[in-house]
Amino acid sequence: MNLLKIRNHHFLFHNREDIDIVNKNRPVNLNLATIKFPVTSISSILHRITGVLLFLSIPLCLWALQLSLTPAGFAEVKSVMSGGIVKFISWAILSMLAYHIIAGLRHLMMDAGIGETLEGGRFGAYSVIVLGVVSAALLGVWIW
Amino acid sequence: MKMKFSIYRYNPDTDKKPRMQDYELEIEEGSDMMVLDALLALKDQDPTLSFRRSCREGVCGSDGVNMNGKNGLACITPLSDLKGSKVVIRPLPGLPVIRDLVVDMAQFYRQYEKVRPYLINNDEPPAREHLQSPKDRAKLDGLYECILCACCSTSCPSFWWNPDKFVGPSGLLQAYRFLIDSRDTETQSRLADLDDAYSVFRCRGIMNCVDVCPKGLNPTQAIGHIRSMLLQQGV
Repeated sequence: MNLLKIRNHHFLFHNREDIDIVNKNRPVNLNLATIKFPVTSISSILHRITGVLLFLSIPLCLWALQLSLTPAGFAEVKSVMSGGIVKFISWAILSMLAYHIIAGLRHLMMDAGIGETLEGGRFGAYSVIVLGVVSAALLGVWIW
Repeated sequence: MKMKFSIYRYNPDTDKKPRMQDYELEIEEGSDMMVLDALLALKDQDPTLSFRRSCREGVCGSDGVNMNGKNGLACITPLSDLKGSKVVIRPLPGLPVIRDLVVDMAQFYRQYEKVRPYLINNDEPPAREHLQSPKDRAKLDGLYECILCACCSTSCPSFWWNPDKFVGPSGLLQAYRFLIDSRDTETQSRLADLDDAYSVFRCRGIMNCVDVCPKGLNPTQAIGHIRSMLLQQGV
């Protein structure tokens, strides 16, 4: 009887506390591996991931910048940057920066109302990913 | 032809955790049916299987479920649209599960309530009715058709992480429907209600909402228009 009372309340959306009592043990279906993500969401999550990684790379870049401000330091940074792993890291940072900028430009265009339809959004997301890959390839050619 | 199904099961009285249960359904070669018809046939096999449905023609919005990873209405999604050897049916993501495919929509409705989804006109009531030009009426097309099935909001990562603060694609589509209505006089206060970091601006333009909407509506575009209105009001 008591349970029935709580449930009735809940269906009538009367009282938030009643809802919370019932909710406590309810499972939520949110296993991301079971959910299909369209290309627009892939391009969006890549934007977020590259943004976080770029933010984390700021100390490294600032440190290298500061070191390179003297002629001797500049030569040192230059020699460190020619190492294989360091080259790869700088390529990765630049590629992420390129992707992040391109995806950001798409955001600005969408804010201006361009590419907000389903087809437009898909085209924009594909374009951003393709341009990101192309930039990464060009940056690789430039670095190596 | 035997078709395989894997369905999310949870009975609050007996299960501690949800589980996936396999079913098989004999489907006549060369024929097709809607997912809802398949679910009803499976319910004949196993009467404990629970799901919501009512009109069975994509108008009432009760049978929103996640089919092979994508939200949609079971009643207007043909089995032939679902690729793969098995049809996986799960409840709408992000909302608490009451039982099997039945979710608690309270959070979703709370956001809907927030946008005051009704016409407010504080002018002197007209003798007969509030008139609207065909041009102004046309602005409501693509907005008023929402059936509140929650497919969009429950596919939206921003809504998953902030269901209490982000209004969500469905609520915002409804908000814009009344913001743009020429007969509504509460535009300013409606915008003021939405003017914070979460209500509108948690939308990151992911566009999952547009991808899944069974009525082909575009919440992303409506949200873009709300942002422009907020911007115009701010400068």
